[in-house]
Amino acid sequence: MFELALGEMLWGRRAVFMAVAAAVPVLLALGLRLAFASGSATIVVNGQHLSPETMFGTAISLLYLRFIVPALGVYYGTSMIADEIEDKTITYLFVRPMRRGAIVLGKYLAYLVCVLAAVLPSAALVFVVMVPLASMGPLVETFVRHLEQIAVGIAAYGAVFVLAGVTFKRPLVGGLIFVFGWEPIAAALPGYVARLTVAHYLQGGIADGIGLVLASIGAVLLAMRTIEQREYVLEQ
Amino acid sequence: MIVATEHLSKWYGEVSGLNDVTVTVPEGVTGLLGPNGAGKSTFMKLVTGQLRPSTGSVRIFGEPIWGNPAQYRRLGFCPEQDAFYTNMTGREWIEALAGLHGMDGDSSRAAATRALDAVDLLDAADRKIGGYSKGMRQRIKLAQAIAHDPALLILDEPLSGMDPLMRRRTIRLIKEWARAGKTVVVSSHILHEIEAMTSNILLMHNGRIVAEGNVHQIRALIDEHPHRVWIRAEDPQAVARLLLSGDEVSSVKFDEGAVIVETARPDAFYTRLTSLAASGEAGAIEEVTSPDDNLQAVFSYLVKE
Amino acid sequence: MPIHDQSYRHYTGERALHRRGWWVIARNGMLARLRERRFLGLLLFAWSPFALHAVQLYIGATIVRAAFFGASEETFHTFLAQQRLFVFFITIYVGAGLIASDRQSNALQLYLSKPITRNAYIVGKLLTLAVFLAAVTWVPAMLLLVLQILFSGSLDFVLDHPRLVPAITLAAALQVTLAAVTMVALSSLSSSRRFAAMLYAGVVIFAGLLATVLEAVTHNGAWVLISPQNTLLFINTAIFNGPPDNLALLGSAGAALILLLVASAVILERRVRAVDVVA
Repeated sequence: MFELALGEMLWGRRAVFMAVAAAVPVLLALGLRLAFASGSATIVVNGQHLSPETMFGTAISLLYLRFIVPALGVYYGTSMIADEIEDKTITYLFVRPMRRGAIVLGKYLAYLVCVLAAVLPSAALVFVVMVPLASMGPLVETFVRHLEQIAVGIAAYGAVFVLAGVTFKRPLVGGLIFVFGWEPIAAALPGYVARLTVAHYLQGGIADGIGLVLASIGAVLLAMRTIEQREYVLEQ
Repeated sequence: MIVATEHLSKWYGEVSGLNDVTVTVPEGVTGLLGPNGAGKSTFMKLVTGQLRPSTGSVRIFGEPIWGNPAQYRRLGFCPEQDAFYTNMTGREWIEALAGLHGMDGDSSRAAATRALDAVDLLDAADRKIGGYSKGMRQRIKLAQAIAHDPALLILDEPLSGMDPLMRRRTIRLIKEWARAGKTVVVSSHILHEIEAMTSNILLMHNGRIVAEGNVHQIRALIDEHPHRVWIRAEDPQAVARLLLSGDEVSSVKFDEGAVIVETARPDAFYTRLTSLAASGEAGAIEEVTSPDDNLQAVFSYLVKE
Repeated sequence: MPIHDQSYRHYTGERALHRRGWWVIARNGMLARLRERRFLGLLLFAWSPFALHAVQLYIGATIVRAAFFGASEETFHTFLAQQRLFVFFITIYVGAGLIASDRQSNALQLYLSKPITRNAYIVGKLLTLAVFLAAVTWVPAMLLLVLQILFSGSLDFVLDHPRLVPAITLAAALQVTLAAVTMVALSSLSSSRRFAAMLYAGVVIFAGLLATVLEAVTHNGAWVLISPQNTLLFINTAIFNGPPDNLALLGSAGAALILLLVASAVILERRVRAVDVVA
């Protein structure tokens, strides 16, 4: 199932999003680096010029953690099972001698492998491009921490939305509303509201990260159980 | 018994798909016959474990199918819907699905080749399924159902979309599979297709089994039920006069430019009508129709009983 | 054996193009959506900013000390900008599957075998989405204006701001047209409405993010042109607040939107066909 899903992720039209998500930040970073080098680009915040190192951190949190990782999680997470149901090809998978939960697990692992393989090197390239060689040493720890955040984010968003995909009929719109509607709004609200988002825990410490990983595992297990218990009536 | 259901019912909300079905399917080929909406696909989805029974039970080889994935080693299913991974070639698709049965690379390749050869698709095996014709897509569905050599085959409208030559070949294939020891359940809403494959049928209507048994018994029911034939002729009175001289005709009525005949022995009647038309004794016979609602008439007859 | 008449039977009915085919497609599309409770909920939620602004206008009109809550041209400009989020979600909900679902179910062949033109089909699909988008942009904005008149008890506000009504109409029309045409064009690119939805999300959000970052870094406002949404915001600001200093940029923004609409039209022309040739 993992192999089959891997092929679909890499060779189907869905690979377009992964490719764009990986390539665009690198191209942007290259462009900015050239602009910084030529002196035609600067960012001034509160009268202070932002260094490329700071820009890298901003790129990770704004571009990767706020957009790329959630968007890829929503799209691939919800489409793992929902696409098979909509295309009515899920029948062929259900009548094989394997637990239905294996379909979810195989597809989720394929998603994880492919998206990590696309996004982590992309973030690493952005680091290499944005940060001057001399400044890299002290920033390695921060860089590794950012990569961990991205990896955990990919796992978490994918898990949440694979669960949404096996549970709801039209999970994509709900997923987009959650990621681009609810999460930014909740982040601005006071009190505990922000804790009702994945983004809050991504920005937290190691304990939050571990909690998110465990929650992801739980979400995948729940998705596996859901698909085994539910019956899917395909539209004629 | 290979497939056994006991008081099997399935409803979708307030709509009843299957209603208290208790049947057993023996070895060999069994035809599942019924008009559209009779519940044939629902029955097949329950037997293949895609749907959970609302009440009752369904067992294959003596064990329940829902939530029992090991059973799928012995089951092959050809669904009705036209759904594929269109970006894969036929061979890739069959190999991938064979791989889900636990076959390694070489075994799945060999199995795929055998299956594609059986359905006469080897030439097109390396083309993308998205470019297949309707008949080819139907055949590739059959191929994925037989690739792992299952003991039980459930085929939902397998001849749909096939040209006449391919239909004959597929019917021959189904009979070969049965001779090889497989149990095959085939659904269709066309009587003569099922007749060509098997004499053992299940008749469904409105979610219920209305008859099961030998097709000749069912045909006899059709023969007993008055059979109407509408004949447009140059001289309807002459046709009626000549037909009434035989004992196949129960009654005769006239329509504008036509005669409507009722007969309880349609086979003998048609033989007589054909010779009459060939001899030209009663003038030109321009049109003869006998709508397929005689199947509906049989169902109505059986439901009223 | 029964022998059926095999000869060709001539059609004896009327042969004329159905002049209102586009309306049939649009009406059925709209009715299908209105039957979904989830969608009705989304529409209702999209009117929540209207409710808030209505309360604001009421307070501004009735409580002297709260006159700063009163209406201005900026109120309506801000309202339309706030509705962007709902425009985005409604566009995806309604628009992603408009043509993609027809492609998936081979319904495109059926549609185009009827006596309607391809243009009528496309217009019908556009209208299906445009009506809902207008219902969450132009309609509530105009209603706010009506409420302002009602609460203030005079037409002074409208008379003092004569270009407000045309500004609201033009800004809303641009918003609706851009979203509808882009989404329907993207929907025609695939038979998966999910794929079409993500393409649109990418075009809107990702391009917007890029444009904002590049503009901040290079201090060059021209980067706004790479994002349709940011370009639209720029033009709408000019509509409400008057032309900016950089008239050339405004012209370029207009040209960028026209280019996008032309590109979408080209995509629709190439993709809305009854037959797909599969290599």
